[in-house]
Amino acid sequence: MRAGHGWWLLAPALLLLLAAFVLPVGLMVPTSVRPYVPLVGITGGFTARHYVRLLTDSYYLEIIGRTLALGLTVTCSTLGVGYPVAFFLARTRSRWRNWLTILVVFPLMLNLVVRTFGWIALLAQNGLVNQALQALGLVDGPVKLLFNFAGLLIGLTHIFLPFMVLVLIGAIQNIPRDVEDAARVLGASWGSAFLRVTLPLSAPGILSGSILVFVLSISALVTPRLLGGPTYQVMSTLIYDEFLQRLNWPAGSAQSLLLTVMVLLLIYLSGRLARRTGAHA
Amino acid sequence: MTAARLRTWLLRAWVALVFGFLMLPVVVIALASFSRTSYLTVPPKGLTLRWFGAVLADPEYVHAIVWSVLLALVATVGSLGAGVAASFALIRRRVAGGAAVAAFLNAPLVFPGVVVGVALLQFYALVRMNGTFVGLALAHMVITVPYVVRAVTASLQGTDPELEHAARVLGASGPVAFFTVTLPLIRPGVAAGALFSFIVSFDNVPVSIFLLGAGQMTLPVKIFTAIEYGVDPSIAAISTMLIVLTGVGLAVAERWIGFHRFV
Amino acid sequence: MSGAAPALAVRRLRKAFGAVVAVDDVSLDAAPGEFLSLLGPSGCGKSTLLRMVAGLVEPDGGEIVLAGEDITRVAVHRRNLGLVFQSYALFPHMTVFENVAFGLRRRSVPPAELGPRVERMLELVRLGPLGTRHPRELSGGQQQRVALARALVTEPRVLLLDEPLSNLDALLREEMRVELKRLQERLGTTMIFVTHDQAEALILSDRVVVMEHGRVEQVGRPEEVYRRPATAFVARFLGRANFLAGTVAESRGTGTVVAVDGGRLSVVAGPRPGLTAGQPVHAVIRQEAIRLAAPGAAAGRPNHFTATVVFHAFAGQAHHYVVQLADGRELEIAAPGSTVPLARGAHTRIEWSPEDVILLPGGGPGQGASR
Repeated sequence: MRAGHGWWLLAPALLLLLAAFVLPVGLMVPTSVRPYVPLVGITGGFTARHYVRLLTDSYYLEIIGRTLALGLTVTCSTLGVGYPVAFFLARTRSRWRNWLTILVVFPLMLNLVVRTFGWIALLAQNGLVNQALQALGLVDGPVKLLFNFAGLLIGLTHIFLPFMVLVLIGAIQNIPRDVEDAARVLGASWGSAFLRVTLPLSAPGILSGSILVFVLSISALVTPRLLGGPTYQVMSTLIYDEFLQRLNWPAGSAQSLLLTVMVLLLIYLSGRLARRTGAHA
Repeated sequence: MTAARLRTWLLRAWVALVFGFLMLPVVVIALASFSRTSYLTVPPKGLTLRWFGAVLADPEYVHAIVWSVLLALVATVGSLGAGVAASFALIRRRVAGGAAVAAFLNAPLVFPGVVVGVALLQFYALVRMNGTFVGLALAHMVITVPYVVRAVTASLQGTDPELEHAARVLGASGPVAFFTVTLPLIRPGVAAGALFSFIVSFDNVPVSIFLLGAGQMTLPVKIFTAIEYGVDPSIAAISTMLIVLTGVGLAVAERWIGFHRFV
Repeated sequence: MSGAAPALAVRRLRKAFGAVVAVDDVSLDAAPGEFLSLLGPSGCGKSTLLRMVAGLVEPDGGEIVLAGEDITRVAVHRRNLGLVFQSYALFPHMTVFENVAFGLRRRSVPPAELGPRVERMLELVRLGPLGTRHPRELSGGQQQRVALARALVTEPRVLLLDEPLSNLDALLREEMRVELKRLQERLGTTMIFVTHDQAEALILSDRVVVMEHGRVEQVGRPEEVYRRPATAFVARFLGRANFLAGTVAESRGTGTVVAVDGGRLSVVAGPRPGLTAGQPVHAVIRQEAIRLAAPGAAAGRPNHFTATVVFHAFAGQAHHYVVQLADGRELEIAAPGSTVPLARGAHTRIEWSPEDVILLPGGGPGQGASR
């Protein structure tokens, strides 16, 4: 029908995003190159100091590196843990299938703070995990699982596992069943059929799920803050402190833009990769 | 046991373990909220409901709950309006560059929430909207609109476009056809979008925490800051209440609209 | 037809989708109360034409005139036309009653009148007791009738039907054709019916519009387009026929003789004043026009040949034969099913009347039967 109508209907959503999303983020660019004097505020002129410090100072590089490493490990663990679950849910004919899917979604709908809080209780020195490990005789003393990489890894895996599972379910459901059957009939063992047929055909889903979890992991604020504490930083918590503690908006803007660029780059690259492998994220 | 049976059982065992892993923190919190002790301990020592009472009597918590609900409602209504219209335009009307627009509308989903929060912090300071409810609501709409668009789009794609045409030929103008025919048919998508939107707004921390003004507080931010200062079972109590509410809401959604289709 | 203004007229209607021209400068009339079919293969533009009349597609050029009123720019919902969709497009969330009542509600018909009108229409399409059901509870044939009722209850000036019977199985299709005709005669509504099924078009229509590639090839009563097709396309589309390419040997007042290419065959046709000797032409003979001659018939009659049966199939109402003539040419014949069948290899004689020969000017290939 008439194409003109389309734009009127799109206008509210587009205007909202442009005015309250694109514009504010764009305005951070000029802010990020302004100098900041502590206790005085933003002064005039331009400087690249914030970016330079961000990319050369070992303190910041460590945080950036930790963030990326976290992203990578969380992606791998959610993939490893989640793929079998997705496979099960995609293929099972059980009548509980829908409710089990809802059960996977349930943690997602649950308040993030609440979930992370649960992990604090679990991972503390005298938390359940340590109690269980000591009771089973696997360790002698309590293991440090909070305020370090391990804690963040466990917590973030828990938070983002449902995302990975849901994306993978979609991808696996799209693989026609008879393709696997054909491979078996042609002589492939179950393992061989899985490796040569199912896994490659679910590659697009693996890619989208991985990109999603990676991007979400490096952007996470609440979980790293609560499980990592104020000293074990990642990029988001760094930005949080920069704005609310040190009040250094220019430096914070520079950090935010760096994070943004990383995310956009990842999405762009995954889009290219997806087109190459014939997928669509 | 044949290899196939073994595989099936191993798979099931793994799935059970993973579900256990997913539910673990939830169970822990629920248990901790009943503890008689004034510190968090699991398994709980003794059983009491006093923490639930303490939370509900605490004016700060009540204030935060009311604010969160209000904010979520306003944000949901706003993003429903914008989102349903946008989905309809993208699916039922030919729009130049439709795919690009759809991708753009999806952007806030993967964008770092903290960046949205700090960007609006600065922007609102510039236009003197800092600390306003409107500003906060608009910020929440930005992050909830993509959920509405996705859910409504899924519903729209499952309905026959000819139905709208039939209504029009029978004498219904565009808007009338939408409200009498299309809207009832996409009700599940709209409901799912509304549910997602409400929950995402209610639970949000990264955006809210930067934009809350004096006298404003949302529940997740309150819990967040409370944890930073030390944990006690009242936090567990409010958490448990949220868990139960979410669980019930989700079960109802599944029963009424088959929510699993929209995740 | 009569001097009355046409119920619907389209003038020079055009529509292109990108580089593809769907409707190419089409002009048509439908007389009041007429049943007009738009017949053609998929992609010939008939559905696009219909949807332009309904207002669902905007024409690139041309006019649509409804009982003398130009409705080209009128919005869809104000045209007061009826449209039955191929997929029926029944509102799944409403009962049958509500579906049928929809158009009346849009016209603010008062409740006292609305109920009885809907009931009467449901009775008319023989769905009386099913008003409270939902579409998904009905069979295909029943859904079709709801779609009809819904479109007709508002008493539209013209009813448009977009291949409404194509989703029904063969038996149901035939039943619905009868129902449709009955309804039309009862209500007197002008109907424009889109179909790719030529048998259907012939059975139902007062006039048939044959379309191809967005253009009208021929308009005429069913017997006209069948017996006197204007072009080879129409001849082929309306039914299987044998095409013999040749040149006019003689054109006289008593008949035309066509010398068929590549052989010693002569076909005698009725007189055709427009043709001259030497002109290339196609002689088209329908399968059922070729008779198996009785054994003792005189050999000197026109269009009388000996032939051998090379293929036979029994199709209930007819025997389908392929016979081979002396010069190797093959012809397809449909003989009445009640005749005694001939086996493969049998020798027989065939003949057809000169009046049954369709002559289409123009050369080019066309040996043997169509398609």
